[in-house]
Amino acid sequence: MTKFLSFISRAYVTLVFCIVFMPMAIILVISFSADSYLSFPPSGWSLKWYGTVLGNTSFMQGFRNSAIIAVIVAALSLALGLPAAYALVRLDFPGRALIRSLVIAPLVLPAMMLGLGILMVFTPAGLVATYPGLVLAHLVMTLPFSIRILQTTLSNLGTDVDEAAMTLGARPLQVFMQITLPRLTPGVIASSAIALILSFDEIVLSLFIVGPRLQTLPVALYRYVDERTDPMVAVLAVLMIALSLAIVLVVERSVGFAKAFDR
Amino acid sequence: MTLASSPAHITIDKLTFDYGGERPAVDSLSFDIAEGEFIGLLGPSGCGKSTTLRMFAGLLAPTSGQIIIGGENIVSRPPWERNLGLVFQSYALFPHMTVAQNVAFGLRLRKVGKDESAARVAEALRAVRLEGFGNRRPAELSGGQQQRVAIARAIVIEPEILLLDEPLSNLDARLRDEMRFEIRDIQSRTGITTLFVTHDQQEALTMCDRIAVMNGGRLEQIGTPVEVYDKAATPFVAGFIGRANSVSATLSLGAGAPRLEHEGQALPAPSAGELPMGAAEGAKMSAMVRPHAIQLSRPDASGLTARVIRSVFVGSVIEVELELAGGQKLVAELRPGSDEAQLAQPGAEVALSWRSTDMRIFAA
Repeated sequence: MTKFLSFISRAYVTLVFCIVFMPMAIILVISFSADSYLSFPPSGWSLKWYGTVLGNTSFMQGFRNSAIIAVIVAALSLALGLPAAYALVRLDFPGRALIRSLVIAPLVLPAMMLGLGILMVFTPAGLVATYPGLVLAHLVMTLPFSIRILQTTLSNLGTDVDEAAMTLGARPLQVFMQITLPRLTPGVIASSAIALILSFDEIVLSLFIVGPRLQTLPVALYRYVDERTDPMVAVLAVLMIALSLAIVLVVERSVGFAKAFDR
Repeated sequence: MTLASSPAHITIDKLTFDYGGERPAVDSLSFDIAEGEFIGLLGPSGCGKSTTLRMFAGLLAPTSGQIIIGGENIVSRPPWERNLGLVFQSYALFPHMTVAQNVAFGLRLRKVGKDESAARVAEALRAVRLEGFGNRRPAELSGGQQQRVAIARAIVIEPEILLLDEPLSNLDARLRDEMRFEIRDIQSRTGITTLFVTHDQQEALTMCDRIAVMNGGRLEQIGTPVEVYDKAATPFVAGFIGRANSVSATLSLGAGAPRLEHEGQALPAPSAGELPMGAAEGAKMSAMVRPHAIQLSRPDASGLTARVIRSVFVGSVIEVELELAGGQKLVAELRPGSDEAQLAQPGAEVALSWRSTDMRIFAA
């Protein structure tokens, strides 16, 4: 009986795993196709589509833009998110509980609505299709994540250690720089990595405010799929997955996500 | 040993902390601490002892009152200007620093030179018997060792007072016994005035020069371990420190010596001056007596009688549960093998007595 149950549960987990990873596996296979259209399984194998992607100026331009934006967004998410998280966890001020729950609002609102709102504000401000515009729009998505992660790390740290430093003669800024910040490192790395990945993959908000002058990689990919379907899109998808995976692995190896979330 | 502190006389004057609850967390607390004294702040959780400690450290601002150290009221000084050593229950070591860096932290902030700092760190680590551990990380140490690092870190800055917040409660039983003597030893070698917060009466009795017993934000009694144990000032102290039986009694002044009666039976005569001031005829009293002070004998006409409910051998003593005529229960501790112990058969009627000096009388 227990043997049977363990077989069932293993089969179930395998099934769920398949559903989640099947699309990625298919895309990976197709990216090595020699065909000139999307088909599964491919009739022949080659690496030619990888070469085509690297030679495509629209994609390469998009990659450059997305990378620049993602790095700036990650840096700003941290710079704005850390003080916010600190205030929400450590300081007592009127309306703290309300702000705490409002911080995650952008995550529960439909992205379409956010995009539309952003477009209506950005158009008169001349921010459409500019770096500052895209960075600001992405921050709307990444800041709640950064604040939440840093909030969790910060409240798990407790106040004893900081108070100990204070009684030993450290002023508040010295406490923060020498004690709190070093202990926050896992949260800082994890939240930056997540902001980086979220911004790099972001499409819904970007669609509203990109233009011919400035396009991100996901938007370029989306537009391309609209017109043509060749294995180039599979190659791009594989490259984007690989990049995200690389970032996650680096974080996991250096500090560990688990550590960022509960210690 | 050159790790000398400059012990200061401390006066706590009407110290109050009121966060707007039903009653103040600390209510007009006043007492003095002598130079180099080891004072225990003892009470159940929520009695205000930790709040008092946090006010000392500057982590909480008192609503009113003063803490005067060496003639100066320090309550308006921020924690980083107080020069106090605080040891947390959680140790609160800096996990990203080595043991030596932890201990040196306070010295670095005081801009103590490199050589002097190294010498003082080594000395502090020697004082807590952790020589050679300087390069370890806190995570590599046992609980007791971390505890000692926390103490070294606090005493190396030569604080005016060492504050210990339940420092033993995270240790296992054996280590706790060891650290008790260890802490007391470190304190007497350095001569640092120490305020030790605990909820454990055993710790307070064995470690402290004097114990301040707190309850509900108020100071119940302050005195030496012997005083608070033998001469409890309030029913709370009598019940909180050690085991105590409480017998309800009615005062009858009559002619001659005052008498206490329980259900018409006379309690051992109260000693002079033991009765609360202004107690009137017929006043309800509560007599407190320790289990080991109760003596059993064969029942006689006068005096208090009880029925034995059960007697349990617990090693060094026999614990006897007794029921008085009115249904009140008492516990007596007898020496195994004594004549008294022979009397303590379940169901037997026995007479109870104790020396009048072993009885504390409070208004009920």
